[in-house]
Amino acid sequence: MIAPSRPDAARLVAPWADWNIRFRDGRRVLETGTFALTEGAIAAGCRFFAGYPITPATEIAEHMSKRLPQVGGYYVQAEDELAGVHMCAGASLAGLKAMSASSGPGYTLMHDAYGWAVANEVPLVIVDAMRVGPVSGITGAPGQGEFYIARYCSHGGNIESLVLSPDSVQETYWLTIDALNLAERFRTVVTILTDQVISDMQEDLFLPRSADDLADIVVPRRHNREMPFYPQGSDAIDVPPNVVGQGTGVCVSAYTHTPEGYDIEEMEAHWDQSIRLINKIRRHRDELLRYESVGLEDADVVVVAYGAAARTAKTAVLRARSLGVRAGFLRLITLWPFPDELFGRDVPYVVCELNYDGQLVREVQRAAPARDRVHFMGKSAELHTVDEVLRAVDGVARGQGVPPMPYIWTEVR
Amino acid sequence: MANRLVEKYLRPSQIPTKACHGCGIGMIENWILQAIDELGWSRDDVVFITGIGCVGRQTYATWGGDNVGATHGRALAVATGLKVAQPDKKYVVVVGDGDAAAIGTSHLIHAARRNLGVTVICEDNMGYESTGGQFSPTTPAGYVMNSSPYGMVEPNFDPCDIVKAAGATFVAEYTAVQWMQTRKAIKKALQNDGFSFVHVRFQCNENFGAYALGTRDTVANIQWIEDHTRGIDGDGNPTEFKWETGVKHDASNSRPEFSRLLRDLNTRVAAGHGRRAHG
Repeated sequence: MIAPSRPDAARLVAPWADWNIRFRDGRRVLETGTFALTEGAIAAGCRFFAGYPITPATEIAEHMSKRLPQVGGYYVQAEDELAGVHMCAGASLAGLKAMSASSGPGYTLMHDAYGWAVANEVPLVIVDAMRVGPVSGITGAPGQGEFYIARYCSHGGNIESLVLSPDSVQETYWLTIDALNLAERFRTVVTILTDQVISDMQEDLFLPRSADDLADIVVPRRHNREMPFYPQGSDAIDVPPNVVGQGTGVCVSAYTHTPEGYDIEEMEAHWDQSIRLINKIRRHRDELLRYESVGLEDADVVVVAYGAAARTAKTAVLRARSLGVRAGFLRLITLWPFPDELFGRDVPYVVCELNYDGQLVREVQRAAPARDRVHFMGKSAELHTVDEVLRAVDGVARGQGVPPMPYIWTEVR
Repeated sequence: MANRLVEKYLRPSQIPTKACHGCGIGMIENWILQAIDELGWSRDDVVFITGIGCVGRQTYATWGGDNVGATHGRALAVATGLKVAQPDKKYVVVVGDGDAAAIGTSHLIHAARRNLGVTVICEDNMGYESTGGQFSPTTPAGYVMNSSPYGMVEPNFDPCDIVKAAGATFVAEYTAVQWMQTRKAIKKALQNDGFSFVHVRFQCNENFGAYALGTRDTVANIQWIEDHTRGIDGDGNPTEFKWETGVKHDASNSRPEFSRLLRDLNTRVAAGHGRRAHG
């Protein structure tokens, strides 16, 4: 999974490309994505979880309710998701790394708290285990309907968002540690956009022997004890988070604020706050890029996917290559900020995602050199089959587009 | 400054607040400071938490120590996370009737159920005044506001009844004409290691006064509060309703505080007695 030693080898650009090798000699278990997520969070220092049960994220809450008391942490079963994230924000402000988890119907209730935490630079991790919608949809079927909601996780604009998506149980473990690290470094909310398949399935999981082994990987919680509490206008990262309850005099609110945190209704303060929230992420995109690829350099057609949908897509690309088709594979791990730089080559792209309305495909259309060479292959509530993706690759490689297939949506308007 | 408590506890740059003339918010905050002062607490002992609306906006960042202004209705959810993470601090949650009795009632109920160790001061101006005077769940029945031009048709409720039923361990209700009683109740509320709720109705000249009572005169509006606190108007006649004020429930320190429950759980788990026996 690291250096491409042969043409078909996958290239993984992520901090855990290295961690996978370093910690291969630890414990090996057969476990679920939700288990890996919980263990990753705890290994990264998460000591507070507040959430509300919802399929398929319930097991995250259950694991947390068992594990947190064992490590001196706290599990609170909130009255709703909106309360859960506000509780997490409160706990994080008071010095504990915190996380919440939900699925679509609960995820939509969190956005009030999202904006509050983002605007106040509160480190937090929020998990959305996506299931198919609209609304309650089918509780046990996968979907990818929150690609844009995760980006626009709050009203009012003027924020950038960090969103990561894993495609395996092992990656869920590492990516969760990474997410908690990024939350600390960027003083913001990091969203883990996983799905029903990756959450519920069981796979090999290699865990370090002890959390102490991760000491040089985990970013510890630090405390900012002095002004400026909000470095308005600055794009600096690695600024220690503010702490409430230790007499620093910090002020945290829902309002447009001054560097002290005082509420203010002046445009200059608003501009400085917005510049800070946007540029601290935009100007560090190189620190945020995570993806996996196969054959991007010479492919005649590139299949793009993330999360569970990437699993069958990757298998199909490898099979196409074994059949002599120069197919490429691009799995986005960092979904936001969107990695435009990966779409530099003017080749046809086939975007596989688990919805019919087309979400990821619209960003690929925007980022790719030629919009009319971006093809959509939407499927809803179940994964694409390898054969379906193969047929699409074949059709696009021949210049004929994605052929008609039952329950596959190709139109984007 | 004339008031030594302002110097002792508040933030000079944020005083005076943006409150309208004759507003009761500053007066009630003064009473809160008096209670805190009588207990001998310092700025660093207390985290001051507010919501949205008149009560949120006019009190936020006035406290000289740490201040947290939550989104509308969620002050108690944020306070839950703060209290669990830092249980040794005192949390004063100052919210209005919209925050406590409408948009955030669910969090209020569950904070009371958990016996979260915070003191909620619900400063009730009987409507949404910062948005220009709409009725709220605590507006007196039949009163005219800008969203009840024919008189409020919805029934109202008393948030004290709700938190008492939910498990609050200290509940009191007063009005803006009851300085001594309110100060004493707040002091008592702060001494409860559990969920305390003090409900204080106060006058609003600009909206409730202007639209529901037909006057922006501070004295007239306070007189109306006084009449309905006593149940007798200026002519000695009974008013159409009377607020029942006083300490409504005092079970202070009678059951474990929420963050203590979580810490006790961790102690049990560490000792290998995580699972409670089921009969």
